[in-house]
Amino acid sequence: MPILTEYLVKILINEAFRYRKAIVISFAVILATFTVVGTLWPKGYTVYTTIVVDERNIIQPLMQGTAVTTEVTDRARLARDIIYGRKIMNQILADAGWLESNPSPQEQEEIIKRISAKTTIANVGRNLIKVEYQDTDPERAFKTTTRIAELFIAESLAGKSAESLAAFGFIDKQVTEYHEKLTKAEEALKEFRSANLDAQPGSDADIATRLNNLQTRIEEATRDLRETEIKKMSLEKQLSGEAETASAVSRENQYRTRIAELQSQLETLRLSYHDTYPDVVRLRHQIEDLKQAIQVDQQQREQARASGRTVIDDTVINNPMYQQLRRELSATKVQIDTLSARITQARQQLQSELERGKRMQGGAAKLAELTRDYQVNREIYQDLLRRRENARVSMNLDKENQGLTFKIQEPATRPLQPTGPRFWHFVLAGCLLGIILPIGMLYGKLNIDGRIRVPSIIADRHKLPVLASVPHLWSPAETATVRREVQWLSVLAGVTVLVVSLVGVLRLLKGW
Amino acid sequence: MSKIEKALKRAATERHLALVPASASKQSPVSEERALMPAAGASTALELQARARSSAAIALMRESTPKKTNELAERRIIFPEMGENPTVKAFREVRTKILQATQGRNCVLMVTSVTGDSGTTFVALNLSSAFAFDEGKTALLFDCNLRNPRLHLLFKEHAVSGLTDYLENPTMDVGDIIHPVGIERLRVIPAGGRREIPAEYFTSVRMKGLLDSVRARYPERFIILDSPPMTESADTQILADLCDYVILVVPYGTVTQAQIDDCVKGLDRKKLLGIVFNNEPQVPKFGRRR
Repeated sequence: MPILTEYLVKILINEAFRYRKAIVISFAVILATFTVVGTLWPKGYTVYTTIVVDERNIIQPLMQGTAVTTEVTDRARLARDIIYGRKIMNQILADAGWLESNPSPQEQEEIIKRISAKTTIANVGRNLIKVEYQDTDPERAFKTTTRIAELFIAESLAGKSAESLAAFGFIDKQVTEYHEKLTKAEEALKEFRSANLDAQPGSDADIATRLNNLQTRIEEATRDLRETEIKKMSLEKQLSGEAETASAVSRENQYRTRIAELQSQLETLRLSYHDTYPDVVRLRHQIEDLKQAIQVDQQQREQARASGRTVIDDTVINNPMYQQLRRELSATKVQIDTLSARITQARQQLQSELERGKRMQGGAAKLAELTRDYQVNREIYQDLLRRRENARVSMNLDKENQGLTFKIQEPATRPLQPTGPRFWHFVLAGCLLGIILPIGMLYGKLNIDGRIRVPSIIADRHKLPVLASVPHLWSPAETATVRREVQWLSVLAGVTVLVVSLVGVLRLLKGW
Repeated sequence: MSKIEKALKRAATERHLALVPASASKQSPVSEERALMPAAGASTALELQARARSSAAIALMRESTPKKTNELAERRIIFPEMGENPTVKAFREVRTKILQATQGRNCVLMVTSVTGDSGTTFVALNLSSAFAFDEGKTALLFDCNLRNPRLHLLFKEHAVSGLTDYLENPTMDVGDIIHPVGIERLRVIPAGGRREIPAEYFTSVRMKGLLDSVRARYPERFIILDSPPMTESADTQILADLCDYVILVVPYGTVTQAQIDDCVKGLDRKKLLGIVFNNEPQVPKFGRRR
């Protein structure tokens, strides 16, 4: 039943009084227990030291990008791994005086566990590691802490140095290996080159170009040849239809034309003159002569035809067209011969180029492989060379303790005051807990308990008037008993507090 | 023979008490009670008469051996000298509320509780005492818890005659079972010899007649029944029918709401006057001896 806040204090007081015995006794028991625990609680002396991890020294900017300084992200974790290791722990056992009592190996194991449990290692800043150790003996705490820090630094530096040395060794080995590989690849490439002289990178492209050219040339020549042949055929056709000579029919015609002219002149003259007029006579003579000449011409032609021989006479002339065609034809025939020869040659060349190309294909693949091998090896080799130099610098850095450096920033000091909960802490806690615990339990009980403790709840929930709330009526005998009880309980609480105070004062005086 | 009885005898001889019945005495209550019964509610005049008579009778109720205050305190019974004690105040409050409900008339009031050990007897006894504080009023307390009677402890001799004796014995007179307990104006009817079937007693006509007669006898007499818890006995239901009002005692930190619900269901809501929340813890005041 949740209790209304307004009644809470009253009910708590009443209930506390009701359970007075339990409350006072539990207070006394708790306080006494805490006091005893506080008395027996071992005094702890805490010693701490801080180690600064300096990675920003003067070397780093100089070696930027060249030397790789060891990266430490969670330094505390690494430190823990190193410190809790058996190597350092054994050293600490020996140095901090743990082995004075000659513990057995099992005991040593226990001691190591205890030291580990009491040592806290934490990152306090970005580069600060805090090592804290607690012990009951201040001197031993101091020694242990100091040794832990020293050994940690020594171990870390040694570890780092070894690490970079190992890295350099490894890279160096790799360099040698790749050097060999590279030499082999170079050798193979050289051999292949000398065996296949034309095996040059890009020769296949060259061949392809030439093949193309040849093809084009063959095609062009073939086309020209065909054209030329057509031309030849056409010329021959033309030649067959053309006469070798042309008759000079024109002379006879000239004669006749002259006769006609002369006739007309004669006619004209005869109009005015007699036939005897000298001019008329001359004209008649001229006409006669011309007629005679025509006859001679005709006779000669017939005679020649009859004899079958060519008579070159004035009337026959060479045909110029025929001559022209004959010239062209002969030129065309020459061209055809030329073109045919060119095609044949080009075909031969094409064939040889094709063969060369085929030969080249195999060689190029091999060459590409060899070249690739060579290039890859060369790149790795060069990279490794660079890395080896970096590693060498890193190694030297670590050798000189110039890389990641550890410095003790705050050295451990001999503790003067014990740490951890003190006696009065326990007493205070006992007092508080002795009061809070029983009251709290009572409060819890009241909250869980569903029984009615507040009359107004009845009025609210059951709609019943509450006539009165009757307080417990103490009879004198009861009051006397209660008084006695309260007195006893007061004495008990008082005695407990007194004893605790006495113990505290004694501790103060004796300096326990 | 008590002092009161002697005084009454003297008064009777001196004719001072022509109208006053000797109700407090053990001698002649039966006849008078019977004779005066019809007069109770008959008319205003008669009522006034009866009141005057009862007042006079109350005035004559003198304890032969009144209990001393320390004895009362030891028995956890309130008395007027307690003054501003919160318990006394609480019972006065209850009394006032009852009087408001009854408009000043007397009544039969049953005090019951949800479970056993709720302090029903404590409430009933102290409520009766509270009524008896008023010099004009008197209280008659019945111990109806026949299985677990308590009120006989008030007497020096525990085996006094009581309710069961009266109900079993028709010849017995009411006056024989009304006993003074050493508290002014308070009379008690103890349970009597223990019986195992109390319900049979309460259903009897004689029981009803007894209640009617004691109620009608004096208008200023408040009858209070100390009855067993609701959850433990069927008697309570029967008694609830017989009485005028019921008061339910709910002890501190003992019962749950469900239990109260169950009890309230079994009761007539009209008769249920309310709840007395009992035994609320209180830190005693050591400095002041009571």
